Amino acid sequence: MAEPLVVFERVVKRFGEFAAVKDLDLEINEGEFLAIMGPSGCGKTTTLRMLAGLEQPSDGEIRLAGRRMNDVKPSERDTPMVWQTLALFPFLNVVKNVEFGLKMRGLDAPARNAKAMEWLKRLEIAEFAERDIAQLSGGQRQRVALARALVTEPQILLLDEPLSALDAHLVIRMQGVLTRLQRELGITFVYVTHSQSEAFAMADRVVIMAKGEVEQVGVPRAIYREPVNRFVAEFVGRNNILTGEVTGCDAGTVTVQSEVGPCIAPLPDNRSVAVGDRLDLVVSADVVTVSATAIEMDNVVACSLISEEFVGSVVTLFLETDGGAELKAQLQQRDIENLDTRSGTRLFLSWQRSSVHVLPQ
Amino acid sequence: MSSERAIAWFLRAYVGLVFCFVFAPIVSSFIFSFNSDRFPTIPLGEFTLHWYETIYNDPDVWDALRVSVISAVSVSLIATFIGFCTAYTDYRYRFFGKNAYLALALLPPTIPLVIMGLAMLAWLSRIGMSGHLYSIMIAHVVLCTPFAMAVIRLRLAQMDPSLEAAAWNLGAGEWRTMREVILPFTAPAIVSALCLTAAVSFDEFAVAWFVSGLNKTIPVIILEVLQGQVDPQINAIGTFVFITSMTLVVIAQVLLMTRQRKGVPGG
Amino acid sequence: MAADPRVRINWFAATWRLPMLVWQFLFFVVPLLFLVYLSFWLVRNYRMVPGFDTVNWVKMFAKGYFWDAYYFTFGMALLATVVTSCLAFPCAYALSFKLSETARRWAIFFLIIPFFTSYLVRIYAWQVLLAENGVINAALAVIGAGPYALLNTKLGTVIGYLTLTLPLVVILQTLSLASIDRNLIEAAHNLGCGRLRTVFTVIVPLAKVGLIIGAVFCFILSFGDFVSPYYLGGSKPPTLSILIIDTTKSGQQWPRAAVVAVTMIATLLLVAFAAVSAAYRKRA
Repeated sequence: MAEPLVVFERVVKRFGEFAAVKDLDLEINEGEFLAIMGPSGCGKTTTLRMLAGLEQPSDGEIRLAGRRMNDVKPSERDTPMVWQTLALFPFLNVVKNVEFGLKMRGLDAPARNAKAMEWLKRLEIAEFAERDIAQLSGGQRQRVALARALVTEPQILLLDEPLSALDAHLVIRMQGVLTRLQRELGITFVYVTHSQSEAFAMADRVVIMAKGEVEQVGVPRAIYREPVNRFVAEFVGRNNILTGEVTGCDAGTVTVQSEVGPCIAPLPDNRSVAVGDRLDLVVSADVVTVSATAIEMDNVVACSLISEEFVGSVVTLFLETDGGAELKAQLQQRDIENLDTRSGTRLFLSWQRSSVHVLPQ
Repeated sequence: MSSERAIAWFLRAYVGLVFCFVFAPIVSSFIFSFNSDRFPTIPLGEFTLHWYETIYNDPDVWDALRVSVISAVSVSLIATFIGFCTAYTDYRYRFFGKNAYLALALLPPTIPLVIMGLAMLAWLSRIGMSGHLYSIMIAHVVLCTPFAMAVIRLRLAQMDPSLEAAAWNLGAGEWRTMREVILPFTAPAIVSALCLTAAVSFDEFAVAWFVSGLNKTIPVIILEVLQGQVDPQINAIGTFVFITSMTLVVIAQVLLMTRQRKGVPGG
Repeated sequence: MAADPRVRINWFAATWRLPMLVWQFLFFVVPLLFLVYLSFWLVRNYRMVPGFDTVNWVKMFAKGYFWDAYYFTFGMALLATVVTSCLAFPCAYALSFKLSETARRWAIFFLIIPFFTSYLVRIYAWQVLLAENGVINAALAVIGAGPYALLNTKLGTVIGYLTLTLPLVVILQTLSLASIDRNLIEAAHNLGCGRLRTVFTVIVPLAKVGLIIGAVFCFILSFGDFVSPYYLGGSKPPTLSILIIDTTKSGQQWPRAAVVAVTMIATLLLVAFAAVSAAYRKRA
């Protein structure tokens, strides 16, 4: 099998004493939409900039289409980027901005104009071709930046938090534009973001980074349902993480004495667990059932309601057990219509053992 | 609150007074340049263009104007080039000794002009380069470069730091990026620096007086006339000099102001 | 293996870095160093002879007129600094706190203009205005006052220095006052701090660095200027700059002029250093 399009091999990037990226091994396949995600300062942008040649790795090797790229100048790479600030040239109009990359490749004026117009049409901004950048709205600028980066028909497109400056409703629309473009063009997108919703909505695979290291790589579902460690489980958000000692262990299940009481979980594959081991369990907020009376399930915990939070049709309930442990539950609006949601109401959280994920580490 | 208002009015009047003081000499030169009396005072004499005719017919003034213009134009070109190089270096690079480098770039205006004049005269004589038109140019470039550097550096500070990298990313090499991105972006500041340095050179009299020899500039002529009697010709030359340098400085400032608003994209 | 890229000369970077270094080295650093060297040369038979002798320093420092000029120049520059800073402050205060952003921008716009327009001609204009039968005395005569001697006095010199430095000092003060956090001033008012007390206990300390930098520039410019003390002050007594000109222009006593020049630079360095350390010193 041929090598993946991009290979990072034991790549290190140091700025003075500080290591922004440590021993990074990462493969990016042809035609995939890869999102790199993590808190700020995790090294995600440095990784992207190294791929574009804007930073040189201190150690290790980066290969693009089989070629060692460490010492290749940024201008000789063909790894166009959509910048967080968009970095459109303010002294050029829209079509001249889009033509820029073609001009650098030595195309003559009519050819590059035709090509640029084609892309402006494709991104539905052809009518603004002669406008100044300053006259465009945020969403229109976004499209110009995309057209400018894609006009040279690269194998790979780098995106550095391109949607972070947009209003929420425009973000959703641009996400649609980006995924559609990526499918149609069939090229690789490497998308750096700190936003979970953007990464999970668009990416084929997601890389979670922290402190210069990769924590987990996988399809969004795997990252969400099967985080490999506590950092990922916490970073991915709305998870309940329970910790405790194993008290019982038989036929594919373990019982853990956690902060919310005994919790029955599946015994992880390829792992021997003995009574007395400490385990971390993840119970996603959206797998729990909330009811006014106790129901028949593997795990049932009595709580009192503290507060609720609405985002669209999704509601998150924040609850507290009698022992003082906090739990979250995420439900559809219609699921709680029959519940009393005043603060302090007695409720029961229940979940089956199959929805519990045991953290491997 | 009447005391509040009284203070506000007092402060306004005070600002007006300061501006009067600052512009009084300029305005009075202008008025007296059209006044017929040999010794200008009030009440004013009759309107006349006599002083302008006198300087118009004075070949020395024309020679001085030629020297002034040649030096102002060449100084502005060289000083703006060096100022641009320095501003870009400061914007783009970090290196050992950068603070000393910047100090060297910005220090010349803090040295008293008489001392600069003496040092220049002594050194240029020593290496056989004093008393020429190019002696003035050499010295003025030293004085003007910091202004050019400051103006262009301010403009570069308004540039999105990703802009240059974006050009590399789209396939432009460093030299090409300089031509296609940095130069167009800084163009208004470059023109502004050209105007400002030309104005400084056009007005500078002390250093020019020391090193110029027989190549007198307009300010040097004024200085020499001044050492004699009060001469209303100076009002006429002075008005011409004021108008020239004011025009240059206004252009310089307007260029910086208008582009500031346009260059920075809004939300 | 290619050579270590960090050792290769980066021609692109060098192109931008070198022009200023070369020019300012050849025509700024070297002339000033040469001036120091020149102060140790000898003059024999009206010709300068390279050498290394402290005679110029000894002779110059032994002359009464040198010290007269030194103290006079220093005193006048100090006076100008105090007068200019005090006169500029209410104007800067008004521009910063009483005018709109737009008005402030325009005010600075107009204050920059005179800074770049012929100082020499402006001083000539003052000479005309201040003369015994000039505009000001003529105006005073209308109300029955005067005539006063304004020209060739210390007042004349200070007016000249103000012409040179006032616009710059107002600009520098305005910039530093305008950057003060308004909330602090509001807070002072809310705490019952009177207007004038707020100015001296809140605003001046907060803008200290800017005010001192303005004063330093004023001192440097006044200390080195020869036009105002010569044409408006009548050169009585001469300042150090006038001394340099007289010594240089009348013959070959350049080494002695160099002594004066080097002394001036040393003085300015000391003053600037003292002022800047005062500006950045933490208050006890």
